[in-house]
Amino acid sequence: MTPNSPDLPITITGIGSVSPYGPLAGLIPQCPVESSAITAWTTAGLRRAFLVKPFRPASVVPGAKTRRLDRLSAWALVASSLAIQDAGIDLSQIDRSRVAVVFATAFGCVELTEAFYQSAATNGWSGTDPITFPETLANAPASHVSLFHDLRGPNLTVSSKGFAGESALIQAASLLRHGQADLAVVIAGDTLTRAVYEWYEAADLLSPACYNSEPLPEGCDFMPSEGVAALVLEPLGRCEIRSEARSYAHFRSGRWAAGGQPVEIIRQMLGGSVPSLTVCTGNGAPCASSPTAALAREIVGHAAAIVPPHAVAAGLVNTGALLHLILALSERPSSGQTLLLGSSGDSGFAALLLELP
Amino acid sequence: MTDIQKTIVVTGVGVVSPYGIGLACLQAGMLAGKCCLAPAKDVYPGFAGTTAPVEACVLLPDEGSISRYSRTDRLAVVAARNAVADFDCESSAFRESGVVMASTVAGLTEIDAGIVPDPAAWYRRGGLSRATSYPVAHVADAVGEHLGVRGPRCAVSVACASGAMAIALGANLLLDGAAPMIFPGGSDALCPFTLSGFNSLQALDPSPCRPFDQNRKGLNLGEGSAVLVLETLAGATARNANVLAVLRGWAMTNDAFHPTAPQKEGNGLAECMRLAMEMAEAGSDEIGYVNAHGTGTPLNDIAEANAYETAFRGRSRPVPVSSTKSYFGHCLGAAGALEAAITIIAVRCGALFPTLRLTEPIESPGVDWLRGEVRRQPLPLAMSVSAGFGGSNTALIFGSARS
Repeated sequence: MTPNSPDLPITITGIGSVSPYGPLAGLIPQCPVESSAITAWTTAGLRRAFLVKPFRPASVVPGAKTRRLDRLSAWALVASSLAIQDAGIDLSQIDRSRVAVVFATAFGCVELTEAFYQSAATNGWSGTDPITFPETLANAPASHVSLFHDLRGPNLTVSSKGFAGESALIQAASLLRHGQADLAVVIAGDTLTRAVYEWYEAADLLSPACYNSEPLPEGCDFMPSEGVAALVLEPLGRCEIRSEARSYAHFRSGRWAAGGQPVEIIRQMLGGSVPSLTVCTGNGAPCASSPTAALAREIVGHAAAIVPPHAVAAGLVNTGALLHLILALSERPSSGQTLLLGSSGDSGFAALLLELP
Repeated sequence: MTDIQKTIVVTGVGVVSPYGIGLACLQAGMLAGKCCLAPAKDVYPGFAGTTAPVEACVLLPDEGSISRYSRTDRLAVVAARNAVADFDCESSAFRESGVVMASTVAGLTEIDAGIVPDPAAWYRRGGLSRATSYPVAHVADAVGEHLGVRGPRCAVSVACASGAMAIALGANLLLDGAAPMIFPGGSDALCPFTLSGFNSLQALDPSPCRPFDQNRKGLNLGEGSAVLVLETLAGATARNANVLAVLRGWAMTNDAFHPTAPQKEGNGLAECMRLAMEMAEAGSDEIGYVNAHGTGTPLNDIAEANAYETAFRGRSRPVPVSSTKSYFGHCLGAAGALEAAITIIAVRCGALFPTLRLTEPIESPGVDWLRGEVRRQPLPLAMSVSAGFGGSNTALIFGSARS
């Protein structure tokens, strides 16, 4: 039977990200980030999004060979490397067969999927590109992370409408608590491509600000984003023996569901305590009056601070939770219990309870 | 937690395979030794291979109430409905259940190369709703929506190990108390994208595949879906459920060796099997049958044979192994779930299925390559093994409900 330690204290010891703020280890310095005009493909007029500026992965992670990889794989490799570095972990000193990689994505390696379709359009299905095909698989980013770092524990790629990032965090904690891994690298993100952006546009989801040079207004407007965030999770006892280790937050518990009574379920998870800070993870709706903010108010009352969804992270839609958390930790250093909360009418809700040291 | 709360049991299995709908249909077809592989028809111009499609006589629902279903979604929905055919779908335990569905193809079945030059125009021509089913999460949503369950929903995509990993993650979620029941499974449909991809890699055998044979030439693709119902023994006992099998152990590892090729010595896969046996508290002699990944590709099968030699070293007699992909091909993200269903049949019936067309097995003294007739023997424990591109491995151990 699987060892089961439901009370195993788990802590976040490393942070890495590749986002519109750039490739960064640790917290994200507070600075406004502007949306950019899309130039990667021909658009019918001005089209804007929160984009990751091009960079050379090998300049951030020496030895990274990413020429044939989808940008999502390259960013996952960079973000995970930065998170491991930030955690102060020397991988040569640990049993890498006990390190898990849990990756969350909504669209997977959509760039090379489009490239594969392009090769079919050009050469017919009989003439498609064998180099590209394996890199179209959704688990390619996670496998490149394992391959680069020689991580031989469980390697998962998961997705969940609205809450892929939260789901990845919960499942990574589950692996640690069931003794199926000693350390987990959790990664979440997506890339923007023409097909994805134009799908948002065709579905009439874009903010008017995507079409003009005005700043994204305060409100429930959606501007697509791209990027990857990574966290290192490990049992508290494990990181305490590393002198240089820090703890950004302790992961207490998490719930996510496609429906039901979120207020009851989350209150049950909180066990009577009231978090001092609630960070709302938007599902494309970054505003203080969003359904998530209303749900947060119902759960934690009026005394607690509620951070509305951040537009850049909300632009990642299903995979923004990790970036939401990193931005909240960066902008609002505090202590006590923090609730990471997301909800949407048709996808249910997700709630993660964290304790900031 | 007590043992009864930690013991995970299977109380439902739903299947859509080239044999038809249902576990009984799959069991009858396989016990009869029927091969569903046949020359492919109408895949794309120039393709001359072998596949095993789910025939049109298997009725699939057109769409859900929220969005259009892909063929992958529809296969999954039929399998899920089949899995819970005898359940009280109005009970609170059922309504709070979770879904973990695996897929690699997902909604790629609905997209064509016409999307590339001008996506917006393609969406205007009707592609918008078709593309909605593209994300792999849509498969889990389709199943959850169709069953009317509101617990956690998750999709898993780890190439050809996806279906088995969905079952492993579903078991973890149960132990976490995330839901009273979890419906884990896998679904994938045949489509030009994957056929063309594997063809470009020269991984396809144009004839029916011959896993573990020295003259093997590659794999054949199939399609289908399998969905299990997992719950704790405590939950199953409380509702007086019929326990079909016990999920005794599960494990996941990664080779960290190559993006597509398995590590030749099969060390990652062997470690995965060892960990699953450790969780099951089973010695290597206790595993009576292994349903192999067994794709029929030269590299996979030799790595797998080496993995069996390592994982079962010290065993008193060779471990019986077969690849049931020789019956209806490799169903990618559904393969691990379908093979879990076959392993459950094996445990319940005491039937060890042979690999079809296996005449000259790989030399592997620690392995008893099953071939010829179905072997009948009591089978307290059996293992299902899956591996995939990206180095992911998963092993599941099922035990008889009587144990």
